Amino acid sequence: MKSLSLPLCDAGRLNGLVALADAVALIQAGAPLAIAGRPEALAQLPQGRWIAGTTPYFMTAEGGQVIDATRVFVTDLSGLGGVSVGTYDADSLHLISEEAPENGFALAIIPFQSAVHERFAREASTYPQAFLKPTVGWIAGFDLAEAGGHALVYDGLTGTAHANRVAVMHVELPEEYLPQVEIVNLFEADGVDVIRFEEAGFAPAQVVVNGQSQLFADYVRGRGLADGRLPLVGDYAGARVNASIRAVEGDSVSLYAPVFPGINYAFARPVADYAAAFRDQLEATPHEGALWSCNCILNFLYGELEGKAIGGVAGPVTFGEIAYQLVNQTLVQLRAI
Amino acid sequence: MALPSKSAPCWLKLADGGVKRLKTTNLGVQMLAQRLELSPMSKADKAGEFFNFFTKWEKGLGNEIAQLASL
Repeated sequence: MKSLSLPLCDAGRLNGLVALADAVALIQAGAPLAIAGRPEALAQLPQGRWIAGTTPYFMTAEGGQVIDATRVFVTDLSGLGGVSVGTYDADSLHLISEEAPENGFALAIIPFQSAVHERFAREASTYPQAFLKPTVGWIAGFDLAEAGGHALVYDGLTGTAHANRVAVMHVELPEEYLPQVEIVNLFEADGVDVIRFEEAGFAPAQVVVNGQSQLFADYVRGRGLADGRLPLVGDYAGARVNASIRAVEGDSVSLYAPVFPGINYAFARPVADYAAAFRDQLEATPHEGALWSCNCILNFLYGELEGKAIGGVAGPVTFGEIAYQLVNQTLVQLRAI
Repeated sequence: MALPSKSAPCWLKLADGGVKRLKTTNLGVQMLAQRLELSPMSKADKAGEFFNFFTKWEKGLGNEIAQLASL
């Protein structure tokens, strides 16, 4: 494997785009891999210790890229500890964390707009082991320029694609290391209104704004935010967790992540230059021991990140991100420290 | 600084709103705190959850553990 010319992350581990043939060679050599790419490429991979999900969008050290089916993005998780691969259906999502190693993490890939996506989004923070055995990962997507796109995840052990299961790699870490889950969120509350919801969900009809209930669609339109460029920012005991607007149609607002009662939300303040803002925040973020990362398709699109470098962090560009639970419009990083 | 024992009062204080006074940027602490704030669990059970979390991640929570005595 050392003879291959491959992009390495800070820890000297492969984490980047490679030719399909190189990914095949790594799988055949027995490396445990997390892979992302187009379905036409992923379908050609041989069976082995890997999981994968579909997306053609990536951040690399050189900048954002949209790839064809001749390459895939590979994160090599060799040399850490025991690794296992599996898939989970909607009724067994709590086992993703429960079956993770005592010292390690679960890397999960979930197909966009599936029942497992919706269920994980609603429940993840309530799973008994959610904060004792962390889960990171991403929501698989598709090429937005192609009609009828749908997301798939892959269980490399059997080479099977799934539209409604979660592909999971459990990774054990050496005793002296701890997994550290971090997010980089460009968005801050704009301070205009305090927004609350009375029911959890992806499509809340009503919203309570500064104590007054109203139609959420009317409120979003009234604020001039129906284009969805700015997410809601939830205050999770100081952590900023976004729920992005997907569409505003008639009396309905749909979101990319659910909102929950009991949390104060606000719309985000605009970000003028996403690439510069990411570079600034990533400069202040430790990268020692970085193993894996992903960033959101909405940051990629609204920030026009194709061709723009944001500070060397590489990974798939995704239709939702997982840092213990589902988050939106956020960069997620996992380190072993 | 050593982690306080399970019977130390700081865990109940954390569970009873003291977590809002904890200065932390640790995402796990923040998300767990939010989950427990919204949970119908008893304060004793919430205190147990905080203790288990801090026990598991003690090595990475030096800053937070140093604040427990002053909550």
